[in-house]
This record gives sequence, C-alpha cells and structure tokens, in this order.
Amino acid sequence: MSLLLRHIRLSLGGFSLEMDAEFHGRITAVFGPSGAGKTSLLDLVAGLRRAQSAFIQLGDQVLTDTVQGVSVATRHRGIGYVPQDLALFPHLSVRENLRYGCKSGGATSPLFGFERILEILEIQPLLPRGVTELSGGEKQRVALARALLASPRLLLLDEPLSSLDLNLRRRILPYLARIRDEFHLPMLYVTHDRFETLALADEMVVLIDGRVAQTGTVQEVFSRPANLAVAGLFTVETVQPGRIVKTADDLVTVAVGSALLTAVEGNLPANTREVYVCIRAEDVILLKGGDSPSSARNHLAATVRSVTREGPFLRVEVSCGFTLTVLLTRQAGEELALETGDRVVALVKAPQIHLIPRSA
Amino acid sequence: MTAQEWQIVWFTAWVAALSSLAILPVGLPAAWLLARRDWPGKSLVETLISLPLVLPPVATGLILLKLFGRRGAIGGFLHDRLDLDVVFTWRGVLLALSVMSLPLLVRSARVAFEEVDPRLEQIARTLGAGNLRVFCTITLPLASRGIVGGMILAFARALGEFGATIMVAGNIPGKTSTLSLAIYQNVQLGQDAHAFRLLGVSVALAFMAVWGSELLLRKARRKP
Repeated sequence: MSLLLRHIRLSLGGFSLEMDAEFHGRITAVFGPSGAGKTSLLDLVAGLRRAQSAFIQLGDQVLTDTVQGVSVATRHRGIGYVPQDLALFPHLSVRENLRYGCKSGGATSPLFGFERILEILEIQPLLPRGVTELSGGEKQRVALARALLASPRLLLLDEPLSSLDLNLRRRILPYLARIRDEFHLPMLYVTHDRFETLALADEMVVLIDGRVAQTGTVQEVFSRPANLAVAGLFTVETVQPGRIVKTADDLVTVAVGSALLTAVEGNLPANTREVYVCIRAEDVILLKGGDSPSSARNHLAATVRSVTREGPFLRVEVSCGFTLTVLLTRQAGEELALETGDRVVALVKAPQIHLIPRSA
Repeated sequence: MTAQEWQIVWFTAWVAALSSLAILPVGLPAAWLLARRDWPGKSLVETLISLPLVLPPVATGLILLKLFGRRGAIGGFLHDRLDLDVVFTWRGVLLALSVMSLPLLVRSARVAFEEVDPRLEQIARTLGAGNLRVFCTITLPLASRGIVGGMILAFARALGEFGATIMVAGNIPGKTSTLSLAIYQNVQLGQDAHAFRLLGVSVALAFMAVWGSELLLRKARRKP
C-alpha cells in the first residue's frame, strides 16, 4: 500500500513542517533528531492535527485534501497509532484496553485474530491486570496489540522503543519484526535510532527541521547520506549488506562484497543469514607497508580511494572488497602519508563489527 | 421531631439532591466546552456561570424572581404556554438551588476535564471511537472524581442556600420551607428548641454528605 504526502505545510509557533513524499515500503522509518517534526507528521496522517495545506492519500483513498476540503475523520481512517507515551487508558484493564478498538467489541477483529495477536505479543497472562501495574515492555506490547486489534490498514509507531532500556529494546524488537512478517501491515516508524531502522525498515525518510533531507531505501540512505546534516545523524559510517557463511564458537564469518569478515555472533536470532555489517570509522586501524601479526581478527588488504580532511580528522575511504570508511587523526594520517591508490591493510577487531539481521 | 419538621428535612435533602443532579446536563457540557474548546463569547459565559458565586444570593434571587415571575420573560412563557408556575413553588426552590450551586460543579468539572490527557482521547479516536463514545468511555470516567467532588460541593451549597431561595420561593410552610429558612424563622419567633433540633439535623446531613463523598472517592481511587 502506498502513502502519498503532497504539499504538506504545517506551522506551529516557530516551527514549520513542509514536505512532499511518497512511501511504498512495508516499514518506512521516519528518521531524524528530536524536534524535526516526526510526531507532527504522524498526527497529520492520523488526522489528529490540521495542516494549513495537505494532500494525504493512503492506497486509493484520499484522507486529507485541503484544496477540496476533504478530511476523513480520524476514526474512519483505519490507521493505528502507538504514540510515544503509549496512551493506554489508565482506568481500564489490559483486556478492556485491548477490546476498545475491536470492531463492535466482538471476539475477533476482521483482519487479525484476537488470539493470534495475543499469542504473538505474549499478552495472555497480562489480560486481567490493570495497565498501571505493567512494566515498560509489557505496556509497549499491550499498546501495540490494542492498535493491531482495530484492524488498521497502516500502523503509526512513534519511537516505540525510546522509553525502554537497551535490554528491553532487544526483547521488543523481535515482536515488531514478527508483526511486520506476520501481518504484512505497512508501518510508519518514527525513530532516531539507526539500529532499529536497520533491523525493521526497508525504506526511510530523514527529516531535519521540518524538511525532508533524504528519502530512499535504508541501505541507500545510510551508505550514501545526501549531505553532511544527514551524515551527522549517523554515528556508524560503514553499513554493508552481508551474508553469514559460517558459524563456529560464537564467531561468525560474514561475506561482504568479495571480503570475508569475522565477527562476534552476539544477540543474533538463530539461523540468521542475511545481515547488515556495521563498522564505525574510528574502530578501524590502517597499516601501511605490509601486513604484520596482530590480535585483530580481520586483516583486509585494501586500496585507498579517497582522503578528506574533516576538522582534526582524516576521513579515508578504502576499498577492500567493499567500501570501508576509516577515521584517523590528522597526525596519524600525516605519519602514514596516505594518498589515493596506496595499498594498505585495514584491521578490525571482531567485537567491533556490529551485525544486524536483515530481511532478504 | 414533629411531622412538620421531618417534612422540612426530607424536602430540603430531596430538593438539594435533585438540584445537584439537575445541573449535570447543563454543567458538564459547559465545563467541557470551557475546558476543551475556544469559542467566541467563552469568557462571557464563564463569567455568567460564576456570577452567583460573587453576587449577593439575594440579588441572584431577585434576578430569578424577575425572570421567572408570571410577568417575567421566562416565567410568563412557562405560565402561558405550559401552565407551569415556578415562583413560590418547589420548582422555585429547585431553580434557586441549581443556579446557586451550578458554578461549583462547573469549576470542579472543568478542572477535571482539563486534567484528562487529550492524547488519550485522540488515540481512542484512532481506535474507531466517535465523539460521544470517547466522552463517555474516556473523558467522563477519568474526570469522574472531580465531577463527583463538584456534585458534593453543589449539594452542600444547596443544603444551606438561603438568600436566593427566600426571594424566589418564599418560605411557605409545607411547600417551600427548607432547613435554613425554617431555622431562621424559628429563631425569629423565639422557638429556640425547634431551631436547635433542625440545627442538629443540618449538622448530621452535612456530615453524612462530606463523609459519604470521602468514602466514594476512596473507593474510586482503589479501582484501577
């Protein structure tokens, strides 16, 4: 299903959101720093906020058209919304919260079965409890289930994991992936977390100061940021698709381009094969003048493609079967006297290679 | 206690309770509109509703008397078209108590509505609920403590109302005489024993109202 956003203009005090975009992905990440207008965008799509100008079309239904005076009421839009604060109804039990959106309060929702959703999100044991007694992760799952039970055509998620600690995030993430795979429900997923984006989304839009800074596939945007502002949002410079070819003793061998990398298996779900390989530029060491033994598991023969000054650093792009970005202090760079075309060896320790599951 | 005294007690409690229910259909929508919407004339309506709080009750009573008397704008209409008399009947008492206690309900309910997170109402809409359902299932239950508190205040105010009642309804024994009016009259006539008995009942009624509301609120708090 496609979501069309045209001539969006929304002014709120000193802030304004102006954008044109269309999304066709299963999960589109709306990526950007706080205050970029991400939540305002979701509110517009859900019909909770009125824009000075907007044309919003979901599938073949026009939801908002300020020129024609069309504005479908929120309750008729069929758009599920899990806001950042979850907005569980505090005076109702978990069961009553879940039933709230079920059509005519029936036992099954037409699109997704009640029991199925409870099973996937492991909510059954929580049913009789009050929502105020739930932990953060449980609340998150209940809010998700409640939105799903209303049988939406599109799900809006506003930083669903931001309020959770790292451990819980790791545990909720697979639930979101299950929803994506089980229900084929398109989602707009607001986040400022790169790893969530990589793990879930296939398409992304980067919003900065109420403007679209870049749109494209996740891999495209992360590997080729359109400008410095976008690149500045990402703290990991190298993101490459790879495939796990061997697993042994908690170490995995990943094929990336024509190179083979050794990484730590970490928290990858069992039988993961397709991954993103993430390497921070400052974690790479360059050797010049031949390889020598070291504790680093990855020694990659490489050729320098470009050297750019970046404040006190040198940003070096090398090709070693794939393109790897390296950040060196200028002092180190001068000692090595790096120039385009130089042959070098890039060293990366196995634990510094971050693997993220990727849908093939 | 004489039969006449009992009649006064029952009449007062009954009409005070009725007035705190009667103001709900006006008070709740007004409180909601004041809390949630901006509209032209909002501050004027706000002031009008609160006026009985600051105006001398007798003055409010006089205004009502003029409006609802047989020759008044509203009273005339009611008398001619519906054959309904308000002034110097129990309806007059009800009217006086309602107008005097309305601002207390509206103020409490307004604060209660303002404290309901609008995000909850918005999310209820995304789950397919219309305005009425959102109001009845989300807004009202979450504001219920403030509303009940407002009703209790209104009831207490109505129990003790004097000035407006005596202007609109007079003090007709067996018809419009309330506790406050009867206590005053008994003291005037030097019947102190009667006055003290009614005083005792007043204290008991007020005590039960406040105590009951505390119990009610505590119960509501315990429910998740």
